Amino acid sequence: MIELPRHSLDIRTPLIEILGIGNAGCNALDRVILDGLHGAGAVAVNTDSQALAGSVAGRKLQIGASVTRGLGAGGDPELGRAAADSCLDELQGVIEQANVVFVLVGLGGGTGSGAAALIAQAAHERNALVVVFATLPFSFEGKRRTAQAQTSLSVLRATADIVICFENDRMAEAVSPTAPIQEAFAAADQTISQSVRALAAVAARRGLVHAGFDEIAAAVRGANTRCLFGYGEAKGDNRAHEALALALKNPLLDRTCLRERAESVVVSVSGGADFTLNEVQILMEDLHRNLRDDVRLFFGCATDPQLTGTLTVSILGVYGSDTPLPVVNVPAYLSSREHPAAAPSLAPEESFPYSTSVDANGSADEYAQDDTEDEVEPEPEPEMEPVLSSVRTVLPPTRPPFQPPSPQRLREQRAEQMQLEPINRGRFEKSEPTIVDGQDLDVPTFLRRKF
Amino acid sequence: MARDQIVVGLEIGTSKVCAVVGEIRTDGTVKILGVGDAPSRGVRKGEIVDFETAGKCVREALVDAEEKSDVMIGSVYLGVTGSHVTSFNNRGAVVIPEDREEIDDQDFEDVQASAREVSIPSQNMFLHTILQHYYVDGQDGILNPIGMLGKKLEADFHIIHGIGNRIKNSVRCVKELDIEVLDVVFNPLATAQVVLDQNQKNLGALVVDMGGGTTEYIVYVDGAVKASGCLSVGGDHITNDLSLGLRIPMARAEKLKLEEGSVLLGHSKPGEMIALKDETGFAGKEIEREMLNTIIHCRVRETLELLRRELEQYNFLPYLGAGILLTGGCSLLKGIDQLAEESFGLPVHLTHAHTMSGLTSAFENPQLSTAIGLIKYAQAMQPERPRRGIFNRFLDKLRFLY
Repeated sequence: MIELPRHSLDIRTPLIEILGIGNAGCNALDRVILDGLHGAGAVAVNTDSQALAGSVAGRKLQIGASVTRGLGAGGDPELGRAAADSCLDELQGVIEQANVVFVLVGLGGGTGSGAAALIAQAAHERNALVVVFATLPFSFEGKRRTAQAQTSLSVLRATADIVICFENDRMAEAVSPTAPIQEAFAAADQTISQSVRALAAVAARRGLVHAGFDEIAAAVRGANTRCLFGYGEAKGDNRAHEALALALKNPLLDRTCLRERAESVVVSVSGGADFTLNEVQILMEDLHRNLRDDVRLFFGCATDPQLTGTLTVSILGVYGSDTPLPVVNVPAYLSSREHPAAAPSLAPEESFPYSTSVDANGSADEYAQDDTEDEVEPEPEPEMEPVLSSVRTVLPPTRPPFQPPSPQRLREQRAEQMQLEPINRGRFEKSEPTIVDGQDLDVPTFLRRKF
Repeated sequence: MARDQIVVGLEIGTSKVCAVVGEIRTDGTVKILGVGDAPSRGVRKGEIVDFETAGKCVREALVDAEEKSDVMIGSVYLGVTGSHVTSFNNRGAVVIPEDREEIDDQDFEDVQASAREVSIPSQNMFLHTILQHYYVDGQDGILNPIGMLGKKLEADFHIIHGIGNRIKNSVRCVKELDIEVLDVVFNPLATAQVVLDQNQKNLGALVVDMGGGTTEYIVYVDGAVKASGCLSVGGDHITNDLSLGLRIPMARAEKLKLEEGSVLLGHSKPGEMIALKDETGFAGKEIEREMLNTIIHCRVRETLELLRRELEQYNFLPYLGAGILLTGGCSLLKGIDQLAEESFGLPVHLTHAHTMSGLTSAFENPQLSTAIGLIKYAQAMQPERPRRGIFNRFLDKLRFLY
C-alpha cells in the first residue's frame, strides 16, 4: 500500500493535545480514549505513580516525584502546584507542538487544583488555545474541597480561553437515584468525554461543514466569558428532534441562559452516512427558537461511519460576563449559610486564595468563609492577574490595597442576581413554554419589557 | 337524498367547549338549531393537558347542545388548534403521459400527492392540503383543468400539518363518548368560512381569531388560502399578566379584564382608581386604571406585532384588500380594533359568523365563530352537494385518522 505523507503541504493543521491532570482528570481521559479519539494526542499527568500506571493513555508524565515521592498530592493544592512547578520543563515539552490544548481536571483535590492552572498558563503562553474541562466536587465531599475547587476554578477562568465546568452535584441529577455509584461516576465521565470529543471534532475541522473553531477562539480569547455545553444523541425516526431535546436538557446547559445571553453558539451535528439535510434543517430550526436573533452561530456537520443510525448534537454556547461567577453556581450550603459581617481582616485577602492558604495554613472554616466572600462580593476581573504571579512564585510579593466594590458594581451585581431569579410564569408554570424569537411569551409582556 | 342534514361542530377551546348544532337545508342554507357550551378545564393553549377532565367538559357541552337543539348527536366535526400546527405552501407537478393529452381526475390526484411529497417531521401528519392555483403547461390562473389539453399539470397547495398524536388525542377525547368524528379541521380554516364571503376572499383578507389560549390566523389572497397558523398566546395570557402584575387572583383578574379592561392607553383620568369589591367582606383593593390598561395593552400589542412580523415575512399585507377581520373572545376587548389598525395600518373589522339563519344571538357572538364555521366547512365538504370552487378548495381527506 502506498503511504501518502500526511503533511506534504505546509498547512498547519490544528494539533490537539488532551491532558488529564490528577486522578479525576486521568479517569476522564481514560474514558475519552476508550470512547475513541482521532487526531489528538493524550497525555496523563499525575503525581501518583501507581494511579498513573493504571491509565490507558499512550503518554504518561509523572510530576513532582521529588516533592511527593511518587505518592499523590494528598488533597493539598500547594503540593500539587509545587509538583508541577518542579516539572515545568517536561510539561512545556508535552505541549510544545500543540496549538489546541484540552485540560481535563477534577478540582478540589491536590494535583488537579494545583497543577492545572500552571499547565493552562504554560499552554497559554505558547499561544495555544486552552480549553479546560473542570469537574467540581460533590458537595458532600466537604466544604474545604469545594472551596479549593472554587478558588482554582477562578484562577483557571483567568488563564484558559474556554472553561467548561461540570458540577458533580448536577451530574448526580442526571442519573437515577437507584443507579449504583459506579454508574453515577461513569455517567459523569461520559458527559466529559462527550464534550471533549465533540470539541475535538470541531477543532480538528473534520466534516462536511466546518464549525469555525478559530472564530470561536477569537470570540472567547481574552474576554471574560462563560460556557454552556449540551450534548444529545438519539436514534430512530425522530432523532433530530430527540437529539436536540436531549442536548438542551443537558444538566450543563442552562436553557434560559442560552436563550437570553449566549452571544456565540457552536453547533456540531454528526451522524452516520444515513443522516439527511432535512434532519439538519429541522434541528436547526428547532434550535433557533432557543436562541436570540443576533447570536453568532457556527455550524459544523460531519459524518462518521461508526454513528450509522445515530445522530449526535453538541451545542457550545459562549456568553460574556462582566461579573465573576454568578451566585447560581455557589453550592447550596454556601449560599444558604448565614455568614455574619465579613471579617475585615479577611477582606484584603479575598483575591489571593492561595496566598491565604500559605500564610494562614487555611483552616477549613477560613476557606469556606473566604470563598463565600468571593462569591458575594466578587472581585473585578483585572485583579485576577496577581493571582497568577502568586501561583508561580510561591509567596505573593505585595498585596494591592483592598478596593471596596463601587456602588455601581454592586448595582450591576444585583441586577444580575435579579435576572437569575426564576421568572414567574403564573398559571403557565407547568405548561409547554411558547418561545418565539427567543422570548418566552408566557412571561408577562410588561415584565419582559420592564415597564 | 334531498333531505335536511344535521351537522354538529365541536370546538374544544381553552376557555370553553362549545358545540353548535346546525341544519344544512336542501337549498344550501344553514340554520343554527342550538348551541351548547361548557366552561373548559384541562385545556391549555388550545391543547388538551388533562384528558379526563377535558372529556367531562366535552360531554357537558354536547349534552347541553342536545337539550337545546332537541337533536341526538352522533357525530361531530372537530376543530383543532395548537402551536404545533404549522403550514407552508408547496407546488406539485405531474407530467401527463405521452399517450394521452387530456387532463383527468387521476392527474389531479397525482398532483396533490406530489405536492405532499415534502418532508415534515415524522411525528407530524397532514391536516389539510388546500388547493390554491393550477398551472397547465405553465399557464397561470386555471380554475379547473380537468378536461383541458396539456402536457404538464402543476398546482400550488397550502399544506397544514401538526403533531399526529396531539391531534389524535383531541379525537380520542370525543370518541370516548361514543361520538364519531367525521373530520378534523384546523380552527382558523373553519372560522374563515363564516366570517368571510367569497368576495372578501377574492379581495384578500386576514382573519384573526383571538381566543382564550391561542391566536389563530388565516390569510386569503385571490380567493385562496395563502397562510395560516397559530400563536399560543390568548386571553388567558392577559388574565395571567393581570394576576401577576396586580397581585390579584386569576378569577378576579378575569372578571376585571372583562368588565373594566381596555387596550387603549391615555383614556383614563390620571390617578383614576378602580375599586375591587371583595365578596368575603374584607376591604377591597384599589387598582389604577392606567396600570390595568397598560398591562393589557402590552400583551395585545405584542401579540399583534408578532402576527404582523410573521405576515410581513411573506409580504401579504399589501394584498389584503378586505382588511383584517378580528373575531374570537378577545375581540370583545375595548379598543382592540383601534390598536390592531394602528399596528397593521389596515382597516380592521370586528366580526362574527353571519350568512345563516336561526339563533341570531348565537352567531352574533364572536366566541362561537369557529364552531359555527365548522358547520359551514362541513357543508362545503358535502360530496353530494358539491359547491364547485369551495369543494375543490378543501380536498383534505384525512382517512388515516382512525
